Amino acid sequence: MTAAGRVLRFSFGERVVHWMTAILFLYAALTGLALWSPSLFWLSNVFGGGDAVRRWHPWGGVAFAIALGLMFRNWSKDMKLGSEDRRWLRQAHRYAVHDENGLPPAGRFNAGQKVLFWTQSVSVVLLFASGVVLYWPEIMPRGLRLAALVVHPPTAIVSIAGIILHIYMGTAAVPGALRGMIEGWVPEAWARAHHPRWYREIVKR
Amino acid sequence: MIVAKLIDTTTCIGCKACEAACQEWNDQGLTVGVARSDDGTYQTLPDLRHDFWNVIKFNEATREDGSFTWLMSKYQCMHCVDAGCLDACPAPGAIFRRENGIVDFDHDKCIGCGYCITGCPFDVPRLSPVTQKVYKCTLCSDRTSVGLEPACIKACPTNCLTFGARDDLVRLADARAEALRSEGRGNAGVYNPAGVGGTNVLYVLEDATRPEAYGLPRDPTIPWQVRLWKGPIKWVGNAVLVGGVVGAFLHYLRYGPKEVRE
Repeated sequence: MTAAGRVLRFSFGERVVHWMTAILFLYAALTGLALWSPSLFWLSNVFGGGDAVRRWHPWGGVAFAIALGLMFRNWSKDMKLGSEDRRWLRQAHRYAVHDENGLPPAGRFNAGQKVLFWTQSVSVVLLFASGVVLYWPEIMPRGLRLAALVVHPPTAIVSIAGIILHIYMGTAAVPGALRGMIEGWVPEAWARAHHPRWYREIVKR
Repeated sequence: MIVAKLIDTTTCIGCKACEAACQEWNDQGLTVGVARSDDGTYQTLPDLRHDFWNVIKFNEATREDGSFTWLMSKYQCMHCVDAGCLDACPAPGAIFRRENGIVDFDHDKCIGCGYCITGCPFDVPRLSPVTQKVYKCTLCSDRTSVGLEPACIKACPTNCLTFGARDDLVRLADARAEALRSEGRGNAGVYNPAGVGGTNVLYVLEDATRPEAYGLPRDPTIPWQVRLWKGPIKWVGNAVLVGGVVGAFLHYLRYGPKEVRE
Protein backbone atom coordinates (compact mmCIF):
# COMPACT_ATOMS: atom_id res chain seq x y z
CA MET A 1 0.00 0.00 0.00
CA THR A 2 1.38 3.39 -0.90
CA ALA A 3 0.20 6.92 -0.20
CA ALA A 4 1.79 10.36 -0.46
CA GLY A 5 5.36 9.15 -0.74
CA ARG A 6 4.95 6.59 2.01
CA VAL A 7 4.51 2.84 1.97
CA LEU A 8 2.98 0.63 4.64
CA ARG A 9 5.78 -1.59 5.94
CA PHE A 10 4.08 -3.31 8.88
CA SER A 11 0.37 -3.73 9.54
CA PHE A 12 -1.12 -2.88 12.92
CA GLY A 13 -1.31 -6.57 13.80
CA GLU A 14 2.32 -7.16 12.87
CA ARG A 15 3.41 -4.20 14.99
CA VAL A 16 1.44 -5.35 18.01
CA VAL A 17 2.93 -8.82 17.80
CA HIS A 18 6.44 -7.42 17.32
CA TRP A 19 6.27 -5.19 20.39
CA MET A 20 4.57 -7.81 22.50
CA THR A 21 7.40 -10.18 21.62
CA ALA A 22 9.97 -7.45 22.29
CA ILE A 23 8.68 -6.60 25.77
CA LEU A 24 8.35 -10.24 26.76
CA PHE A 25 11.84 -10.89 25.42
CA LEU A 26 13.29 -8.10 27.52
CA TYR A 27 11.55 -9.42 30.62
CA ALA A 28 12.66 -13.02 30.03
CA ALA A 29 16.19 -11.99 29.10
CA LEU A 30 16.79 -9.63 32.02
CA THR A 31 15.27 -11.95 34.62
CA GLY A 32 17.21 -14.79 33.00
CA LEU A 33 20.46 -12.83 33.28
CA ALA A 34 19.73 -12.43 37.01
CA LEU A 35 19.93 -16.22 37.27
CA TRP A 36 22.79 -16.55 34.78
CA SER A 37 25.45 -15.49 37.25
CA PRO A 38 25.45 -14.57 40.95
CA SER A 39 27.21 -11.33 39.98
CA LEU A 40 24.14 -10.33 37.94
CA PHE A 41 21.67 -11.44 40.60
CA TRP A 42 21.12 -7.76 41.51
CA LEU A 43 18.98 -7.55 38.36
CA SER A 44 16.35 -9.54 40.24
CA ASN A 45 15.80 -6.51 42.50
CA VAL A 46 14.46 -4.65 39.48
CA PHE A 47 11.85 -7.36 38.93
CA GLY A 48 10.52 -7.86 42.44
CA GLY A 49 13.30 -9.94 44.02
CA GLY A 50 14.69 -13.43 43.61
CA ASP A 51 11.48 -15.23 44.58
CA ALA A 52 9.47 -13.27 42.02
CA VAL A 53 12.08 -13.95 39.33
CA ARG A 54 12.06 -17.67 40.06
CA ARG A 55 8.28 -17.64 39.94
CA TRP A 56 7.71 -15.43 36.87
CA HIS A 57 10.74 -15.88 34.60
CA PRO A 58 9.41 -19.25 33.39
CA TRP A 59 5.97 -17.82 32.65
CA GLY A 60 7.48 -14.78 30.97
CA GLY A 61 9.35 -17.26 28.82
CA VAL A 62 6.16 -19.14 27.96
CA ALA A 63 4.44 -15.89 27.02
CA PHE A 64 7.45 -14.92 24.90
CA ALA A 65 7.30 -18.27 23.13
CA ILE A 66 3.61 -17.75 22.35
CA ALA A 67 4.27 -14.23 21.05
CA LEU A 68 7.11 -15.51 18.91
CA GLY A 69 4.74 -18.19 17.63
CA LEU A 70 2.36 -15.46 16.45
CA MET A 71 5.27 -13.66 14.83
CA PHE A 72 6.20 -16.91 13.13
CA ARG A 73 2.69 -17.18 11.74
CA ASN A 74 2.91 -13.60 10.43
CA TRP A 75 6.33 -13.71 8.86
CA SER A 76 7.65 -17.24 8.26
CA LYS A 77 6.57 -17.07 4.61
CA ASP A 78 8.52 -13.83 4.03
CA MET A 79 11.52 -15.22 5.91
CA LYS A 80 12.37 -18.11 3.57
CA LEU A 81 16.06 -18.08 2.75
CA GLY A 82 16.78 -18.29 -0.99
CA SER A 83 19.95 -18.45 -3.07
CA GLU A 84 20.01 -14.63 -3.27
CA ASP A 85 20.04 -14.55 0.52
CA ARG A 86 22.95 -16.93 0.72
CA ARG A 87 24.85 -14.70 -1.69
CA TRP A 88 23.93 -11.70 0.47
CA LEU A 89 25.20 -13.43 3.60
CA ARG A 90 28.52 -14.26 1.99
CA GLN A 91 28.95 -10.52 1.42
CA ALA A 92 27.45 -9.40 4.72
CA HIS A 93 30.78 -7.74 5.64
CA ARG A 94 30.17 -5.29 2.81
CA TYR A 95 26.70 -4.51 4.10
CA ALA A 96 28.30 -3.79 7.49
CA VAL A 97 30.57 -1.09 6.01
CA HIS A 98 27.81 0.49 3.87
CA ASP A 99 29.39 -0.71 0.64
CA GLU A 100 26.24 -2.20 -0.82
CA ASN A 101 27.04 -2.17 -4.53
CA GLY A 102 26.83 -5.70 -5.79
CA LEU A 103 24.73 -6.95 -2.88
CA PRO A 104 21.62 -8.81 -4.06
CA PRO A 105 18.59 -6.53 -3.55
CA ALA A 106 16.68 -7.39 -0.38
CA GLY A 107 13.03 -8.40 -0.37
CA ARG A 108 10.67 -7.55 2.46
CA PHE A 109 13.40 -8.72 4.84
CA ASN A 110 17.09 -8.85 4.12
CA ALA A 111 19.08 -12.01 4.73
CA GLY A 112 20.40 -10.70 8.05
CA GLN A 113 16.88 -10.21 9.36
CA LYS A 114 15.97 -13.68 8.14
CA VAL A 115 18.90 -15.26 9.94
CA LEU A 116 17.85 -13.43 13.11
CA PHE A 117 14.29 -14.70 12.70
CA TRP A 118 15.40 -18.32 12.33
CA THR A 119 17.93 -18.01 15.13
CA GLN A 120 15.20 -16.85 17.48
CA SER A 121 12.78 -19.50 16.23
CA VAL A 122 15.24 -22.33 16.90
CA SER A 123 16.38 -20.75 20.18
CA VAL A 124 12.89 -20.49 21.57
CA VAL A 125 12.29 -24.19 20.98
CA LEU A 126 15.54 -25.09 22.80
CA LEU A 127 14.84 -22.58 25.58
CA PHE A 128 11.31 -23.85 26.05
CA ALA A 129 12.31 -27.52 26.14
CA SER A 130 15.21 -26.99 28.56
CA GLY A 131 13.15 -24.52 30.59
CA VAL A 132 10.39 -27.04 31.14
CA VAL A 133 13.01 -29.47 32.45
CA LEU A 134 14.54 -26.90 34.80
CA TYR A 135 11.13 -25.83 36.10
CA TRP A 136 10.55 -29.12 37.99
CA PRO A 137 13.84 -29.94 39.72
CA GLU A 138 12.33 -32.78 41.74
CA ILE A 139 10.26 -34.37 38.97
CA MET A 140 12.55 -34.33 35.94
CA PRO A 141 15.31 -36.96 35.75
CA ARG A 142 18.69 -35.63 36.86
CA GLY A 143 20.39 -36.43 33.56
CA LEU A 144 17.89 -34.25 31.71
CA ARG A 145 18.26 -31.44 34.23
CA LEU A 146 22.03 -31.49 33.86
CA ALA A 147 21.68 -31.43 30.07
CA ALA A 148 19.26 -28.51 30.36
CA LEU A 149 21.82 -26.61 32.44
CA VAL A 150 24.20 -26.58 29.47
CA VAL A 151 21.49 -25.90 26.86
CA HIS A 152 19.41 -23.12 28.41
CA PRO A 153 22.14 -20.55 29.25
CA PRO A 154 24.21 -20.69 26.02
CA THR A 155 21.07 -20.69 23.86
CA ALA A 156 19.86 -17.62 25.74
CA ILE A 157 23.21 -15.92 25.14
CA VAL A 158 22.98 -16.57 21.39
CA SER A 159 19.42 -15.23 21.43
CA ILE A 160 20.34 -12.11 23.43
CA ALA A 161 23.40 -11.46 21.28
CA GLY A 162 21.16 -11.56 18.21
CA ILE A 163 18.78 -9.08 19.80
CA ILE A 164 21.59 -6.72 20.79
CA LEU A 165 22.54 -6.59 17.11
CA HIS A 166 18.86 -6.27 16.13
CA ILE A 167 18.24 -3.35 18.49
CA TYR A 168 21.36 -1.60 17.21
CA MET A 169 20.34 -2.12 13.59
CA GLY A 170 16.72 -1.15 14.19
CA THR A 171 17.46 2.05 16.08
CA ALA A 172 20.84 3.67 15.48
CA ALA A 173 22.23 1.93 12.42
CA VAL A 174 19.23 2.19 10.09
CA PRO A 175 17.39 5.49 10.63
CA GLY A 176 13.69 5.17 9.79
CA ALA A 177 13.44 1.48 10.69
CA LEU A 178 12.18 2.09 14.23
CA ARG A 179 9.54 4.50 13.00
CA GLY A 180 8.44 1.92 10.48
CA MET A 181 7.94 -0.60 13.25
CA ILE A 182 6.08 1.89 15.47
CA GLU A 183 3.93 3.80 12.98
CA GLY A 184 3.94 1.22 10.21
CA TRP A 185 4.84 3.65 7.41
CA VAL A 186 8.22 4.24 5.79
CA PRO A 187 9.23 6.77 3.12
CA GLU A 188 9.29 5.40 -0.42
CA ALA A 189 12.96 6.33 -0.74
CA TRP A 190 13.71 4.33 2.39
CA ALA A 191 11.93 1.28 1.05
CA ARG A 192 13.67 1.64 -2.32
CA ALA A 193 17.07 1.86 -0.64
CA HIS A 194 16.79 -0.86 1.97
CA HIS A 195 14.30 -3.31 0.48
CA PRO A 196 14.29 -2.68 -3.27
CA ARG A 197 12.83 -6.03 -4.33
CA TRP A 198 9.97 -5.61 -1.83
CA TYR A 199 9.37 -2.03 -2.95
CA ARG A 200 9.09 -3.06 -6.60
CA GLU A 201 6.57 -5.76 -5.65
CA ILE A 202 4.35 -3.32 -3.74
CA VAL A 203 4.41 -0.67 -6.40
CA LYS A 204 3.38 -3.26 -8.98
CA ARG A 205 0.36 -4.21 -6.86
CA MET B 1 38.69 -25.52 62.98
CA ILE B 2 36.99 -27.65 60.34
CA VAL B 3 34.46 -29.92 61.99
CA ALA B 4 33.17 -33.24 60.80
CA LYS B 5 30.87 -36.10 61.64
CA LEU B 6 32.03 -39.69 61.56
CA ILE B 7 29.47 -42.43 60.94
CA ASP B 8 30.70 -45.92 61.80
CA THR B 9 28.13 -47.96 59.95
CA THR B 10 29.33 -51.17 61.61
CA THR B 11 28.10 -50.12 65.02
CA CYS B 12 24.75 -48.66 63.94
CA ILE B 13 21.92 -50.71 65.48
CA GLY B 14 19.17 -48.97 63.54
CA CYS B 15 17.50 -47.49 66.63
CA LYS B 16 16.80 -44.23 64.79
CA ALA B 17 17.32 -42.14 67.90
CA CYS B 18 19.29 -39.77 65.62
CA GLU B 19 16.24 -39.35 63.38
CA ALA B 20 14.05 -38.48 66.35
CA ALA B 21 16.64 -36.09 67.75
CA CYS B 22 17.02 -34.40 64.35
CA GLN B 23 13.30 -33.96 63.96
CA GLU B 24 12.92 -32.67 67.48
CA TRP B 25 15.82 -30.23 67.44
CA ASN B 26 14.81 -28.84 64.07
CA ASP B 27 11.20 -28.62 65.19
CA GLN B 28 9.84 -30.72 62.33
CA GLY B 29 7.48 -33.06 64.15
CA LEU B 30 7.87 -36.73 64.86
CA THR B 31 4.89 -37.97 62.90
CA VAL B 32 5.98 -37.22 59.33
CA GLY B 33 5.54 -40.88 58.48
CA VAL B 34 5.81 -44.26 60.06
CA ALA B 35 6.82 -47.42 58.26
CA ARG B 36 3.81 -49.67 57.82
CA SER B 37 4.06 -53.40 58.26
CA ASP B 38 3.33 -53.90 54.57
CA ASP B 39 6.21 -51.63 53.50
CA GLY B 40 8.53 -54.55 54.17
CA THR B 41 11.14 -52.23 55.67
CA TYR B 42 12.23 -50.82 58.97
CA GLN B 43 13.08 -47.50 57.38
CA THR B 44 11.10 -44.53 58.63
CA LEU B 45 10.84 -43.08 55.15
CA PRO B 46 12.11 -44.30 51.79
CA ASP B 47 13.79 -40.99 51.05
CA LEU B 48 14.81 -37.62 52.45
CA ARG B 49 12.19 -34.91 52.60
CA HIS B 50 12.19 -31.16 52.97
CA ASP B 51 11.11 -31.76 56.59
CA PHE B 52 13.15 -34.91 57.19
CA TRP B 53 16.89 -34.45 56.79
CA ASN B 54 18.32 -37.68 58.11
CA VAL B 55 17.18 -41.15 57.03
CA ILE B 56 18.67 -44.28 58.55
CA LYS B 57 18.76 -46.71 55.64
CA PHE B 58 18.40 -50.42 56.15
CA ASN B 59 20.23 -51.59 53.02
CA GLU B 60 19.65 -55.29 52.55
CA ALA B 61 22.63 -57.40 51.51
CA THR B 62 23.90 -60.95 51.52
CA ARG B 63 27.07 -62.02 53.31
CA GLU B 64 29.60 -64.31 51.63
CA ASP B 65 28.18 -67.30 53.50
CA GLY B 66 24.74 -66.52 52.07
CA SER B 67 23.25 -65.15 55.27
CA PHE B 68 21.25 -61.93 55.39
CA THR B 69 22.64 -58.67 56.68
CA TRP B 70 21.78 -55.03 56.83
CA LEU B 71 24.32 -52.53 55.64
CA MET B 72 23.25 -49.58 57.74
CA SER B 73 23.78 -46.07 56.45
CA LYS B 74 22.83 -42.61 57.49
CA TYR B 75 21.50 -40.69 54.48
CA GLN B 76 22.01 -36.95 54.96
CA CYS B 77 23.93 -33.94 53.62
CA MET B 78 27.62 -34.81 53.26
CA HIS B 79 28.87 -31.22 53.69
CA CYS B 80 31.25 -31.59 50.74
CA VAL B 81 34.49 -29.64 50.67
CA ASP B 82 33.74 -28.86 46.98
CA ALA B 83 29.96 -28.52 47.18
CA GLY B 84 27.99 -29.00 43.96
CA CYS B 85 24.93 -27.29 45.45
CA LEU B 86 26.92 -24.16 46.19
CA ASP B 87 28.47 -24.06 42.72
CA ALA B 88 25.08 -24.35 41.04
CA CYS B 89 23.26 -21.76 43.19
CA PRO B 90 22.41 -18.47 41.41
CA ALA B 91 21.40 -16.51 44.53
CA PRO B 92 24.43 -15.03 46.31
CA GLY B 93 24.58 -16.11 49.94
CA ALA B 94 21.66 -18.53 49.75
CA ILE B 95 24.12 -21.40 50.08
CA PHE B 96 27.34 -20.69 51.92
CA ARG B 97 30.18 -22.45 53.67
CA ARG B 98 30.76 -21.64 57.31
CA GLU B 99 34.29 -21.22 58.60
CA ASN B 100 34.00 -24.60 60.26
CA GLY B 101 33.26 -26.28 56.92
CA ILE B 102 29.50 -26.67 57.32
CA VAL B 103 27.57 -26.07 54.09
CA ASP B 104 24.47 -24.16 55.13
CA PHE B 105 21.40 -22.60 53.50
CA ASP B 106 20.02 -19.12 54.18
CA HIS B 107 16.32 -19.42 53.51
CA ASP B 108 15.76 -15.67 53.32
CA LYS B 109 18.02 -15.64 50.28
CA CYS B 110 16.99 -18.97 48.73
CA ILE B 111 14.70 -18.45 45.72
CA GLY B 112 13.70 -22.10 45.36
CA CYS B 113 15.04 -22.62 41.82
CA GLY B 114 16.27 -26.08 42.76
CA TYR B 115 19.60 -25.82 40.89
CA CYS B 116 21.27 -27.11 44.09
CA ILE B 117 19.20 -30.29 43.77
CA THR B 118 20.66 -30.77 40.31
CA GLY B 119 24.19 -29.85 41.40
CA CYS B 120 24.28 -32.18 44.42
CA PRO B 121 26.03 -35.49 43.63
CA PHE B 122 24.37 -37.11 46.66
CA ASP B 123 20.76 -36.10 45.85
CA VAL B 124 20.21 -34.44 49.22
CA PRO B 125 18.45 -31.01 49.05
CA ARG B 126 14.67 -31.10 49.01
CA LEU B 127 12.20 -28.40 47.94
CA SER B 128 9.35 -27.56 50.29
CA PRO B 129 6.05 -27.31 48.42
CA VAL B 130 4.87 -24.88 51.11
CA THR B 131 7.68 -22.34 51.36
CA GLN B 132 9.23 -23.03 47.91
CA LYS B 133 12.65 -23.08 49.59
CA VAL B 134 15.20 -25.88 49.74
CA TYR B 135 16.12 -27.68 52.96
CA LYS B 136 18.72 -30.14 54.14
CA CYS B 137 20.84 -31.10 57.17
CA THR B 138 22.64 -28.08 58.64
CA LEU B 139 24.98 -30.25 60.72
CA CYS B 140 23.11 -28.44 63.52
CA SER B 141 24.98 -25.21 62.78
CA ASP B 142 22.76 -23.58 65.41
CA ARG B 143 24.19 -26.01 68.00
CA THR B 144 27.78 -26.28 66.83
CA SER B 145 28.11 -22.48 66.75
CA VAL B 146 27.61 -22.45 70.52
CA GLY B 147 29.86 -25.41 71.24
CA LEU B 148 27.23 -28.15 71.29
CA GLU B 149 27.46 -31.30 69.21
CA PRO B 150 24.78 -32.01 66.60
CA ALA B 151 21.51 -33.45 67.90
CA CYS B 152 21.95 -36.80 66.13
CA ILE B 153 25.33 -37.31 67.76
CA LYS B 154 23.99 -36.38 71.17
CA ALA B 155 21.28 -39.02 70.81
CA CYS B 156 23.33 -41.93 69.44
CA PRO B 157 23.53 -44.69 72.07
CA THR B 158 26.33 -46.76 70.50
CA ASN B 159 28.91 -44.08 69.74
CA CYS B 160 28.47 -44.98 66.11
CA LEU B 161 28.35 -41.21 65.52
CA THR B 162 31.26 -38.98 66.49
CA PHE B 163 31.59 -35.23 66.08
CA GLY B 164 34.82 -33.26 66.28
CA ALA B 165 37.77 -31.77 64.41
CA ARG B 166 37.91 -33.18 60.90
CA ASP B 167 41.61 -34.08 61.08
CA ASP B 168 41.05 -36.06 64.28
CA LEU B 169 38.07 -37.86 62.82
CA VAL B 170 39.94 -38.82 59.65
CA ARG B 171 42.59 -40.44 61.86
CA LEU B 172 39.93 -42.09 64.01
CA ALA B 173 38.15 -43.41 60.91
CA ASP B 174 41.41 -44.85 59.52
CA ALA B 175 42.17 -46.51 62.87
CA ARG B 176 38.67 -47.94 63.07
CA ALA B 177 38.87 -49.32 59.51
CA GLU B 178 42.28 -50.80 60.29
CA ALA B 179 40.88 -52.47 63.40
CA LEU B 180 38.00 -53.93 61.38
CA ARG B 181 40.42 -55.29 58.79
CA SER B 182 42.56 -56.90 61.48
CA GLU B 183 39.40 -58.55 62.80
CA GLY B 184 39.01 -60.25 59.47
CA ARG B 185 36.74 -57.80 57.67
CA GLY B 186 39.22 -57.25 54.90
CA ASN B 187 37.14 -54.86 52.81
CA ALA B 188 36.58 -52.37 55.61
CA GLY B 189 37.51 -48.80 54.74
CA VAL B 190 36.74 -45.11 54.97
CA TYR B 191 34.34 -43.25 52.63
CA ASN B 192 35.70 -39.75 52.10
CA PRO B 193 35.37 -39.29 48.33
CA ALA B 194 38.16 -37.30 46.70
CA GLY B 195 35.98 -36.26 43.75
CA VAL B 196 34.28 -33.61 45.87
CA GLY B 197 37.49 -32.72 47.74
CA GLY B 198 36.46 -34.97 50.61
CA THR B 199 33.37 -34.64 52.75
CA ASN B 200 32.82 -33.36 56.26
CA VAL B 201 30.60 -36.35 56.87
CA LEU B 202 32.81 -39.44 56.90
CA TYR B 203 31.82 -43.09 56.86
CA VAL B 204 33.50 -46.24 58.05
CA LEU B 205 32.10 -48.97 55.80
CA GLU B 206 32.40 -52.67 56.47
CA ASP B 207 32.72 -53.16 52.72
CA ALA B 208 34.28 -50.05 51.27
CA THR B 209 34.70 -51.72 47.88
CA ARG B 210 30.93 -51.46 47.36
CA PRO B 211 29.75 -48.01 48.46
CA GLU B 212 26.70 -48.41 46.17
CA ALA B 213 25.43 -51.13 48.48
CA TYR B 214 25.11 -48.41 51.13
CA GLY B 215 23.38 -46.06 48.72
CA LEU B 216 26.55 -43.99 48.34
CA PRO B 217 27.86 -43.01 44.88
CA ARG B 218 31.20 -44.65 44.02
CA ASP B 219 32.91 -41.55 42.72
CA PRO B 220 30.80 -38.43 43.34
CA THR B 221 31.94 -35.22 41.65
CA ILE B 222 30.49 -31.84 40.92
CA PRO B 223 28.75 -32.54 37.59
CA TRP B 224 30.79 -31.45 34.58
CA GLN B 225 27.67 -29.72 33.27
CA VAL B 226 27.65 -27.40 36.30
CA ARG B 227 31.39 -26.74 35.91
CA LEU B 228 30.94 -26.09 32.19
CA TRP B 229 28.11 -23.64 32.79
CA LYS B 230 29.79 -21.83 35.69
CA GLY B 231 33.13 -21.85 33.85
CA PRO B 232 33.67 -21.60 30.08
CA ILE B 233 30.02 -20.99 29.14
CA LYS B 234 29.87 -18.04 31.51
CA TRP B 235 33.18 -16.54 30.38
CA VAL B 236 32.31 -16.87 26.69
CA GLY B 237 28.74 -15.68 27.32
CA ASN B 238 29.86 -12.58 29.21
CA ALA B 239 32.40 -11.81 26.48
CA VAL B 240 29.72 -12.16 23.79
CA LEU B 241 27.25 -9.86 25.59
CA VAL B 242 29.78 -7.17 26.45
CA GLY B 243 31.44 -7.58 23.05
CA GLY B 244 28.07 -7.20 21.32
CA VAL B 245 27.23 -3.91 23.04
CA VAL B 246 30.75 -2.47 22.70
CA GLY B 247 31.04 -3.73 19.14
CA ALA B 248 27.77 -2.10 18.10
CA PHE B 249 28.84 1.18 19.67
CA LEU B 250 32.25 1.11 18.00
CA HIS B 251 30.63 0.23 14.67
CA TYR B 252 28.42 3.28 14.95
CA LEU B 253 31.39 5.52 15.75
CA ARG B 254 33.38 4.13 12.82
CA TYR B 255 30.72 3.72 10.12
CA GLY B 256 27.70 5.69 11.32
CA PRO B 257 24.13 5.10 10.22
CA LYS B 258 22.89 3.93 6.83
CA GLU B 259 21.48 7.19 5.53
CA VAL B 260 19.15 7.11 2.56
CA ARG B 261 20.05 9.67 -0.10
CA GLU B 262 16.99 11.01 -1.90
